[in-house]
Amino acid sequence: MLIALWPHRWSRQQRSNATLVSALVLTVFALALLGQVLSFLPEPIGPNAQAFSAGARTTLWLTLVSGSVGLALGTGAALARTARWAAVRWVASFYIWAIRGTPLLVQILFVYFALPVLVPGLNLPDFAAAVVALALNVGAYNAEAIRAGLLAVPRGQTEAARALGLGRTHVFFDVVFPQAFKISLPPLVSNFVALLKDSSLAYAIGVVELTNVGNRIQSATFQPIATLTTVAVTYLLLTTLVTQISNAIEYRFDVEGRNQ
Amino acid sequence: MSAISPYIVADRVCKSFGAHQVLRDVSTHFNTGEVTVIIGASGSGKSTLLRAINRLEPHDSGTITIDGVPVTDDPNTLQRQRSEVGMVFQQFNLFGHLSVLDNITLAPRRIRRTARAQANEQAMVLLRRVGLQEHAHKYPWQLSGGQQQRVAIARALAMAPQVMLFDEPTSALDPEMVQEVLDVMRELARGGMTMIVVTHEMGFAREVADRVLFFDQGCIAHDAPPADFFNDPGNDRIRAFIGRMGA
Repeated sequence: MLIALWPHRWSRQQRSNATLVSALVLTVFALALLGQVLSFLPEPIGPNAQAFSAGARTTLWLTLVSGSVGLALGTGAALARTARWAAVRWVASFYIWAIRGTPLLVQILFVYFALPVLVPGLNLPDFAAAVVALALNVGAYNAEAIRAGLLAVPRGQTEAARALGLGRTHVFFDVVFPQAFKISLPPLVSNFVALLKDSSLAYAIGVVELTNVGNRIQSATFQPIATLTTVAVTYLLLTTLVTQISNAIEYRFDVEGRNQ
Repeated sequence: MSAISPYIVADRVCKSFGAHQVLRDVSTHFNTGEVTVIIGASGSGKSTLLRAINRLEPHDSGTITIDGVPVTDDPNTLQRQRSEVGMVFQQFNLFGHLSVLDNITLAPRRIRRTARAQANEQAMVLLRRVGLQEHAHKYPWQLSGGQQQRVAIARALAMAPQVMLFDEPTSALDPEMVQEVLDVMRELARGGMTMIVVTHEMGFAREVADRVLFFDQGCIAHDAPPADFFNDPGNDRIRAFIGRMGA
């Protein structure tokens, strides 16, 4: 959407950078101004505007931190699944199997309530527990997206790189990963957007994020339509901004000009 | 002329894929400055020998030495050997996410640690040599097959290899693009490059090769200078093969 704003004579990289910068600026503005904009609205939103905006910030922060950890985790697990050693492959498969086969809500509750019992002394605060559970969850889904990308890079690419005398690290970072990442990007973005919405489940262990805020105000004011609509529209705003950022990144990698 | 010395030596090399033996006790050597053309039916093992030389396809037994050093899995030696042995593939295998210039400079920058500016300069020299200096900033998908293959040759030359291996370099090309690639290879041969070429281009073999090897069922069935090879093919299988290739 944003990409279409820039003049056509700009290079792909310029248009991508411009989109990236403006989407980031818009995100910061949106978060900074959300409280003020909402405060102009009538009861029950106006008086609770600051709570909404704090909740939105918590949601985004929760998503960014667990999303970054999940990306690293997903890359690691994808590499482990394609590793040479059977034991490493087995551990990664087990992780993905366990995470994808159980509900996220159970995972969040498990990290918050069961982990301290299993590992005495590991008493995570609610936010940290949510980050751990969400990162583990999105990591498993990212792993499959990245693995698909790795497998989609033609064998000839690694052969050509090896034939030039490049070492394993260079073959991976200069040739395989950039091409795999480009292929994995759309599913990774889907996972990230899903994560933004799934972070609402952190509500169950008392993290004061957007959904939690909305639900508290809803039950205190008995005005579910206004409060829950505000919550939904705020999520929509956040996902739209995230999509703009990811579109810019996708556009940057699109050397073949397929995304017009 | 440099003194003739064997640069690559294969000694009783065997290789099987499952139950199918593709190389049976292949022994031969490739001399510095020589152009060797390997021909033979598909599945006769000619590409496999080429790929065994730089260990893209490790052989099962026997030895291959490059400049006296055996080809093994030892990563440091192998990487050094691979940078001495350039390879050109049937499917070009250019890096799709990199521009033509970056395709050529990647290996020198990473392996020789050449500075980017200097690597770019050297790459432009190579691109001029293959006639593609105007396309330096394009991406592979914007080039024709023949142009891509010429870039692939330039990319292999960027490491200043001692030998160039060509694995059916023109087999994936439209007929009208075959000549531009063969011209570049002819030019290389004229410059004294040691080359091992797997091809079905009989005209090229006749004209450029110093020596023609005929592979049949994993063995070298005939090894002769092109004049002898084409005028007196030795046996009927070879005669029939040459006949089918229309040479």
